[in-house]
Amino acid sequence: MSLRRSSGLVGAVALALALTGCGSSDSKSDSSGKGGTRVFAADNGKIKIPADPQRVVATGYAVPVMIEAHAPLVGISSWKRGESMMSKKDLATYKKVPKVAGELATETNYEAVAEAEPDLIVIGVPAPVLGDIDVKRLESIAPVVAIGPTVPSAWRELSHKQADAAGSLKQFDAVKAKYEAKAAKLAEKYKDVLPQLKMGHVGAYGETAKGTFQREFGSSWGTNIAEDAGAKYYGKVKKKGPGSRAVSEYPSLEELPESLGKADAITYSVNPDGSVPEPVKYVMDSKLWKNLPAVKAKKTFPIRYTEAATYGSGMQTLDAIDKSFAPLLNR
Amino acid sequence: MTVAGRTSEAAGERRAAPQIGLLVGGLVLLAAVAVVSIGVGARSISPTEVVRALLDYQGTDDHVIVRDVRAPRALLAVAVGAALAVSGALIQTLARNPLAEPGILGVTAGAGFAITLGSGLGFAAGQAGQLGSAVVGSVLAALLVAAVGRRSPLRLVLTGVALTAVLSGVALGMRLMLPDTFDAYRFWSVGSLAAREQAPLAWPLTAIAVCLVGALLLSRALNALALGETVAHTLGAGVGRVRAMALVLITVLSGAATAVAGPILFVGLMVPHLVRKPAAGSVPWLILYTMVLGPIVLLVADMGSRVLLPTGEVPVAVVTAFLGGPMLIWAVRRYGAGSL
Repeated sequence: MSLRRSSGLVGAVALALALTGCGSSDSKSDSSGKGGTRVFAADNGKIKIPADPQRVVATGYAVPVMIEAHAPLVGISSWKRGESMMSKKDLATYKKVPKVAGELATETNYEAVAEAEPDLIVIGVPAPVLGDIDVKRLESIAPVVAIGPTVPSAWRELSHKQADAAGSLKQFDAVKAKYEAKAAKLAEKYKDVLPQLKMGHVGAYGETAKGTFQREFGSSWGTNIAEDAGAKYYGKVKKKGPGSRAVSEYPSLEELPESLGKADAITYSVNPDGSVPEPVKYVMDSKLWKNLPAVKAKKTFPIRYTEAATYGSGMQTLDAIDKSFAPLLNR
Repeated sequence: MTVAGRTSEAAGERRAAPQIGLLVGGLVLLAAVAVVSIGVGARSISPTEVVRALLDYQGTDDHVIVRDVRAPRALLAVAVGAALAVSGALIQTLARNPLAEPGILGVTAGAGFAITLGSGLGFAAGQAGQLGSAVVGSVLAALLVAAVGRRSPLRLVLTGVALTAVLSGVALGMRLMLPDTFDAYRFWSVGSLAAREQAPLAWPLTAIAVCLVGALLLSRALNALALGETVAHTLGAGVGRVRAMALVLITVLSGAATAVAGPILFVGLMVPHLVRKPAAGSVPWLILYTMVLGPIVLLVADMGSRVLLPTGEVPVAVVTAFLGGPMLIWAVRRYGAGSL
């Protein structure tokens, strides 16, 4: 799977955050307990949903979460970008569950959704993308809760909320506990080296054609899981924007020395197969990169699976981080 | 020499004097803009350091930026600007159509189609892959248009428009079906001079240089052709040969420029109009002026592209589009539609 997501999606996420003001941070659900329903706070308002859903349709970012949480899925959207991060078992489930929508919100097949006879529909897309979906039509089929992505590191809260809506917190919490245990183990393993390093990250979404690179700071896609393992990323964006723009920016290559010159160590995103994406290669091929102190000190570390947005896939990221950072223990 | 001959020659020299002065002034301006462009960028570098980087390279970050990023970029802007402007002047002269621009030969559509196809099939990855695909696509498209439309300017234009429509439509369909291909095309589709310093540019730049010289050599023959085919025949110009050579030059110039920088519209259309008045109907002067003004326009636009945003850059094609509209309207109002 390519690390580079479509610009439309990234733009949509950014726009979503601008319009929703990160509204999904309210993750509390209000259980009424009457008639088997409860009121759930989602991006699209307070929605009355079944207290214990039995037939769930999930789309977008909610798909991998629901699969990992063993939610009672009867329909999902296509989620090719996450296939490489799914376990064999989850991938089998993903392939088995009927597809009721494509990769894009506009590719929702309403008849297929209706045929699935869900009692809950969880939409994991940004609020503006909801405009591409006929929510009223979906609401005529089942209660709809929209829980879309916000800042990259917020996948923890968002996935919890999605699993909560589907009544699948038990399995979710089990995977979460495994992730947290693994992260704690890594933090312990690297406690003498990682916290002492000022780190910077080069992301995979820079636009080579524009001569820019993606500089990611803490809480971004490329950094948030490494932070769980004890890595400390320094700096912040010059001008905060919505969504991922709050924690990453796209400076000109000329600004590489200024941006990463103070880093003791640099991590960079690579594809799931370990190959270096074109935007990162562009940076690494420049003489400015070779002049950086961290590069001269040979403290550069590739990180795979930086797109992880679930605890299950996050564990693969932790494994990749462990493998990449291992040489630090020998220095 | 007769008295009449000497008088005519003296009159010609008097007419040429201001044109030579304008050309020299343009060259001085071009040199000045090129130097300034090397000093402008996202990172602030003092003029002293810029000079030191050029004359006494030490390999510091500032020196690397000047020598390895900005200087090649300025050179590329000069080459691409000249190539697009001269190919625009050539196609407008050849087609005798003031609205003609290099893309009318299907060059841009051909390059875009080749990159789309190449990305879909997996051989247009990276800068070298894209460059190669764009060169092949643009040359093949232009050859096809030239082969079908070589007999008359109108047929040439119609063939170019038709092929552009077909290639654009097919490529659009492919991109809609293949999201990764769409992504690859998206990065190329808005012309830019950024990040080309790592691309293999030696061959395209050499081809542009050779063709610019070729355009100058052909310009006198085109002067005759501009008067109409009958007059050109009477003056002894080989119409078919001149037209074929001009088509080759246009194809290589615009194809190479589009391949290395992506589609940059307006330069090929706009620049010839801006210098048409001082060229006073002379194709050789028109070629010379466009060869100087094209790089100036692109260098200025490129500097704007680097400093317009607080972080990152605007592709230069966006800046030329913003500059192009008002400049073209100004040219029309200043010189009148008749001169176009």
